[in-house]
Amino acid sequence: MIRYVALKVGRAVFVVWAAFTVTFVLLFVLPANPVDLLFDPTELNSIPPEVRAQVAENYGFNKPVLLQYADRLGHALIGDFGNSVQSGRPVIAAILDVLPSTLILASAALVLATLIAFAIALVATATRRPWLRNLVEALPSGAVSVPVFLSGILILQVFSFQLGWFPSFGDNGVQSLILPLITLAVPVAGPIAQLLVRSFATEFGAGYVTTSWAKGATRGRIIVHDVFRNAGLPALTIAGVTFGNLIAGSVITETVFARRGLGRMTQTAINTLDVPLVAGIVVLVAVTFALINLTVDLIYPVLDPRLRASLTAGVS
Amino acid sequence: MSDLRSSIENAESHRKRWPWVAGVAVLAVLLAGGIGFAVTRDGSASEAAAGDGQPVRGGTLQFALIDYQRSPDPQLGTNYAESLIGNNVTDKLTWQDPDTGEITPWLAESWEYNTDLTQFTFHLRKDVTFSDGTPFDSAVVKANFDQYVHGDDKLGINPNGAVLLPGYIETQTPDAYTAVVTFAKPLASFLQASSFTANAQPGFLSLSTLARSAEERTDPTKVIGTGPFVYESWEEQVKTVLVKRTGYNWAPPSIKHQGEAYLDKVVFNTIPEASVRTGSLASGTIDATLDVGTTDEKPLKDQGFKIISRSVSGTAIYFNFNSQRFPTNDIAVRKAIQLGWDRSAVEKTVLTDSYSIATSVLNKSVKGYVDYSGSVLKYDPDQAKKLLDDAGWKPGTDGIRAKDGKRLEVKLLGISNLVANKPAYESVQQDLSKIGIDLQLTVVPIPDYTALIAKAKTDFNATAANRSRNDAAALNLVYNPSLGNSSYLEQGVSTGIDVAEVTDALGKLETTLDPAKRNEYAKTAQDLLLEKYALVNPVYNPSQVIAHADYVHNIIFDAQSRNHFVDAWKSNGK
Repeated sequence: MIRYVALKVGRAVFVVWAAFTVTFVLLFVLPANPVDLLFDPTELNSIPPEVRAQVAENYGFNKPVLLQYADRLGHALIGDFGNSVQSGRPVIAAILDVLPSTLILASAALVLATLIAFAIALVATATRRPWLRNLVEALPSGAVSVPVFLSGILILQVFSFQLGWFPSFGDNGVQSLILPLITLAVPVAGPIAQLLVRSFATEFGAGYVTTSWAKGATRGRIIVHDVFRNAGLPALTIAGVTFGNLIAGSVITETVFARRGLGRMTQTAINTLDVPLVAGIVVLVAVTFALINLTVDLIYPVLDPRLRASLTAGVS
Repeated sequence: MSDLRSSIENAESHRKRWPWVAGVAVLAVLLAGGIGFAVTRDGSASEAAAGDGQPVRGGTLQFALIDYQRSPDPQLGTNYAESLIGNNVTDKLTWQDPDTGEITPWLAESWEYNTDLTQFTFHLRKDVTFSDGTPFDSAVVKANFDQYVHGDDKLGINPNGAVLLPGYIETQTPDAYTAVVTFAKPLASFLQASSFTANAQPGFLSLSTLARSAEERTDPTKVIGTGPFVYESWEEQVKTVLVKRTGYNWAPPSIKHQGEAYLDKVVFNTIPEASVRTGSLASGTIDATLDVGTTDEKPLKDQGFKIISRSVSGTAIYFNFNSQRFPTNDIAVRKAIQLGWDRSAVEKTVLTDSYSIATSVLNKSVKGYVDYSGSVLKYDPDQAKKLLDDAGWKPGTDGIRAKDGKRLEVKLLGISNLVANKPAYESVQQDLSKIGIDLQLTVVPIPDYTALIAKAKTDFNATAANRSRNDAAALNLVYNPSLGNSSYLEQGVSTGIDVAEVTDALGKLETTLDPAKRNEYAKTAQDLLLEKYALVNPVYNPSQVIAHADYVHNIIFDAQSRNHFVDAWKSNGK
């Protein structure tokens, strides 16, 4: 058991370190110079070399790359990512500033997405009409195929510009959360629903279901009491993927709805080659990602007795 | 597998309907309702009585634009939001009249300069204060210019003004209201620079602000100016809120605004999506929006919104030819490109009334501008073909010409930041292919452009951009071989070009402020760039375009086409 935990924790730490390193390498492999991006692009030719050198020195971009890497990694270990090149704000403060908006949006979207996914799976399993089942089963792939920016703009067009029910941009309270929330939840719900529909179908055909039938249970009772619990569990295994979808979706959702947030900050940080800021965001995302997977790995044996049994057997 | 189960189930008696079915039905109805609710809006934008009557005090202007300020520090800046907001929080020494290009008083009441144009003496207004109550005086001017040009490593402040004020030595303060600025070499354009309102502008900050680090300046309440508005808040990516400065009474005399700003508040909302900006304007959430796309102008006008715009002073959007790289090292090719594309096609298919076709490398609003639409900047495909024929470029089988077995391929690097850029370049590309020139476009976002420009000397034949500066000396900055050298002039390597002649002609622009002489120098410079050496193919004059509700009045476009809100007001009283 201890070995299992140590293995999983070690893997999580490795993932975070690797993410930090790969980001650093990528930002340095990119052809653009972060110093240049602090100037008007049309003025680049006329910047005196000494000015360029002074700016590079300000941010430590003149040091050897390996030294810069060691320096940044060392500071990152104690939670110091330095200051954003573009704004001069400390990276941690800049991230903490926008994090709540993204967290609220993402967690609300996750809840809604889960509800949608379970609704789809339940309907697909419960219905006895093939056409309805086919229709519902087609929804997840449909949800994934519609680009977020398109659905976002369509939703805005109808509910904000035409009906005026919700504000079209910004983040002031619950009112302005609804539309982005729906926009983000739909594509996130897709993969979860897909997985659930399949596992519901598998479980519905399992032997214990037949037993319940034989005992005279109703269809509804079987789905809710027997199938639901067993079929819901696999959704946890794609928690990591879901988290990735949420982050990716938030980049576009936050841009379309002009909300502040981590997604939008990531996009601008990459566009402006803001090395410290990108490093900070990547580490945060990697840590979260690793933690989620670690939690799932650790919690799964608790939830699934079969896995617990095999683990204990393996250790003893 | 589930045969047994199915048979058990099918054998059951008929029972009550599944609640699921009802659920699905409700969901479907909701969905259909949402989609089907395409209510057509009636264009009732003209709710408030318009009319340019007496200005109304009060109200909040909700303004939208693409960009946001990365920091509230107005001396730092590479985007429009930064310069725009900086202009409303800080003031400059002088104000350039957007109509005449003349430099007029602002924080400086008067000024004089030595004959060399290396020393400028400004006599300051005595009644100006910062919003924290401290006075604006010559010590403030000195502290600002020193930090603006040299930066401050300890505070993490970059040398933002080093490019605008090359050769800056020092500012002397003979008395509290006299500031003497000295340069190492003549800098005629400094007078215009003292009014500069575009990116990284010399707006004055209080001594307390200058003592703060870059990090501390991200607290907007710590950024103190003398301007008509004061920071209330700054939310990165989302919005900047400015409130009226009480007691403001020093707007530039030439805009004829007395006293405080009319508006109580201006909110700059960052909205990256074009359709969301126009939708928000149409639905009344915002009062005005910048960054109106060319295709959105007409629909908004039809809905009753006002479109106002100003051509960006400085250079036109230009193709600067690389004078070293094959085939643009051949002047015949450069001249053929100038003559080879149909201006009216670009005008009709790409531009709106807010934009115009370039008739020189300078915008019409820049003093010293000369019109070349009758000579080299016109569509004359026959002449272009003749030039190429005479230079030995023979049409190949695919219609593209070649010489000594090498195709006439012209590689262009451009920025996609303005919506009209790419379609305009594509229109030029089409026309050029008809005369046998293969113009290859690489039109990319700013970060990619910045990366590629480093290799432009060897990899590209032309770079397309523009420079926003309402002074003929912009030509010197862009083309002087010892400064921007955008045509990569090098004696001996750039065939047939007398580099010293170009250097000398452009450098002269910094040596006089006598209007007649300056116009003459500007003409010589344009003649060389456009006619004699054909180093540039100007395409169109970009514009800043605003759409606003009809109850919004008097948004000022300044000489660099940035907006000032000191004189703006709303007649709907909100």
